[in-house]
Amino acid sequence: MVNIGIMSFAHMHADSYAACLNTLPDACLAAVWDDNARRGRAKARAFKTRFINKLDAFLASDLDGVIITSENVKHRAMAEAAAAAGKWILCEKPLAPTVEDARAIVAACNKAGVGLGTAFPCRYALPLMEAKAKLDSGEFGAVYAVACTNHGQAPGGWFADEELSGGGATMDHTVHVADLLRWMLGKEFTRVHCELGNQLHKKTLKTDDLGSLNLEMEGGIQVGHLASWSRPVSYPTWGDVTLEIICEGGVINVDAFNQKLTVYDDKAKRVNWAPWGDNPDLGLISDFVEAVRDKREPSVTGIDGLRATEVTTAAYASFRTGTAVKI
Amino acid sequence: MNVAILGCGGMGRLHAQMAVNCGLRVAVCADKVRPAAAGLAKDFQAKAMNDPMAAVSAKQVDIVVITTPTPTHKALVKAAAAAGKHIFCEKPFARTSADCRQAIAAADKAGVKLFVGHVVRYFQEFEAMRAQVQGGAIGAPGWAKLYRGGIYPGAPGSWFRDYGQSGGVTLDCMIHDLDWVRYVFGEPERIFCQALMRKEPVQVDYSQVTMRMKSGVIATVIGTWAHPAGFRVKMEICGDSGMVQFDSNDAPLSAQPRQAASGPSMIVPSNPVSVSPYQLEWQDFIGWINGTSTPRVTAADGLRAVEMAEAALKSAAKRQPVNL
Repeated sequence: MVNIGIMSFAHMHADSYAACLNTLPDACLAAVWDDNARRGRAKARAFKTRFINKLDAFLASDLDGVIITSENVKHRAMAEAAAAAGKWILCEKPLAPTVEDARAIVAACNKAGVGLGTAFPCRYALPLMEAKAKLDSGEFGAVYAVACTNHGQAPGGWFADEELSGGGATMDHTVHVADLLRWMLGKEFTRVHCELGNQLHKKTLKTDDLGSLNLEMEGGIQVGHLASWSRPVSYPTWGDVTLEIICEGGVINVDAFNQKLTVYDDKAKRVNWAPWGDNPDLGLISDFVEAVRDKREPSVTGIDGLRATEVTTAAYASFRTGTAVKI
Repeated sequence: MNVAILGCGGMGRLHAQMAVNCGLRVAVCADKVRPAAAGLAKDFQAKAMNDPMAAVSAKQVDIVVITTPTPTHKALVKAAAAAGKHIFCEKPFARTSADCRQAIAAADKAGVKLFVGHVVRYFQEFEAMRAQVQGGAIGAPGWAKLYRGGIYPGAPGSWFRDYGQSGGVTLDCMIHDLDWVRYVFGEPERIFCQALMRKEPVQVDYSQVTMRMKSGVIATVIGTWAHPAGFRVKMEICGDSGMVQFDSNDAPLSAQPRQAASGPSMIVPSNPVSVSPYQLEWQDFIGWINGTSTPRVTAADGLRAVEMAEAALKSAAKRQPVNL
């Protein structure tokens, strides 16, 4: 049995990861620690595990690995502490809001000899895996251009507090697609231009709520990416991850979470999309549990997290300077 | 009034029909390609000519319709203006903004009406979208996303396939959306563009624009001539209290013929309307000539749209944003 602990439930993805751990036969959610003790206790109860109030005691317990799902700016301190305690780490995305922090996390894990993974579950989404397989088959030839979106609803809370998140929608919703394209195409990003907007939630958010990015990858592949918190409260789901891939031999379109039922609910007076596809989080957590058990690196590494953070921070630098910048 | 059609391809034929629908007579059909001129002239009982420049000054003609390749527009507008004809010029207005300015000056000097066919301003779905946005349905608009295109137009050897002549999807096709964004959200401040403009091994163009308007609104526009088939238009406008979307694939009618031997056929969605947007732009143009109305789109708008597309192509070449 692999014992995994969760550090902080500040990020809502922690709930899904906890549920995945409780589903897997060879792993368990062994303990919860949270710098918000009230939240941590409630979550520990909900997921039928123990809450450990002191970080030292949590890291000294019989955990084999930890999942860090805190606010973005706290990733570094938590990862450094967990690495020093010899725990394998899966860190929520973005690995960190700054390149400096991301590098420090990677270095701390290298030094301690522990595995580090970044939580990019889209790599385990079957529609995206099939799209990659089509590209890898060679049937579609060279990739020329990609148009991507990662839209969401405004999450509010600490996400909108730059002191805790490091940025807005562009910080939140660039790294998934940046990682996907690095993985699918096997190429690095080289250049970015970005326009940021904050006009959709001006009254409630101080951060950007949309980023319209134009990027280049090695080999001159042109990429447009839209990172946003633009889906209205009345939208039938949380958002999307979509790709339109323009290739020599055709076009591939992916709408990764479009396996859904449309539910018309009179009681709630709303329309919802109920997902029925496989849960990509389960693939992510399974891989991490295996990595911990086999003492190997998780498949999606800390370096992958660092590279994605480099894209995001370059996008913000582009907007600040009003120019396209090198990555 | 009598009309001369210069350029007897698909657009020339369409405008000939619209002119007839407005009660005008097609008197001349001119095209350097002899069968094209003869074919259209036969169908509209008009005189076929093989030199568009000569057709411009045909005596009985009141209105000249320019549906020739883009780089030829300027010279034809100038000649038609000098001959005292009113002018319907298909978009893009001209290949360069300098050409547009010369054309406008010529029309102003001659005192003739010069109309540029930015027909998207007349499309019912675009007007409905504008009404939603301007009616406050989504609050203050902050983001406009537009998408247009499909297969690369023109057969091998066609002028569409020469980027020097057509300007690719950015100048020829996306210009519709650049104009519409300015129509609804005001003047642009700066533009960034990436465009494929590929010839080998397959000819594809895919243009991705991010534009900041003076109002602060961001416009993200995609134009594609990179698809193996079909044509699709999408719009999405996000505001501070909602969002409104359109997708031409969500059509009320689609028909798929069964083809015995030749494999699967394409499904073409259809959005029927009682009055075509091309008819509406013609009514606007004729109303202007008759002095009963002012048109929704002016030659100055056509110039501005070319300036935006030019700036986009400049940005694509420099790989940096360009101020407008």
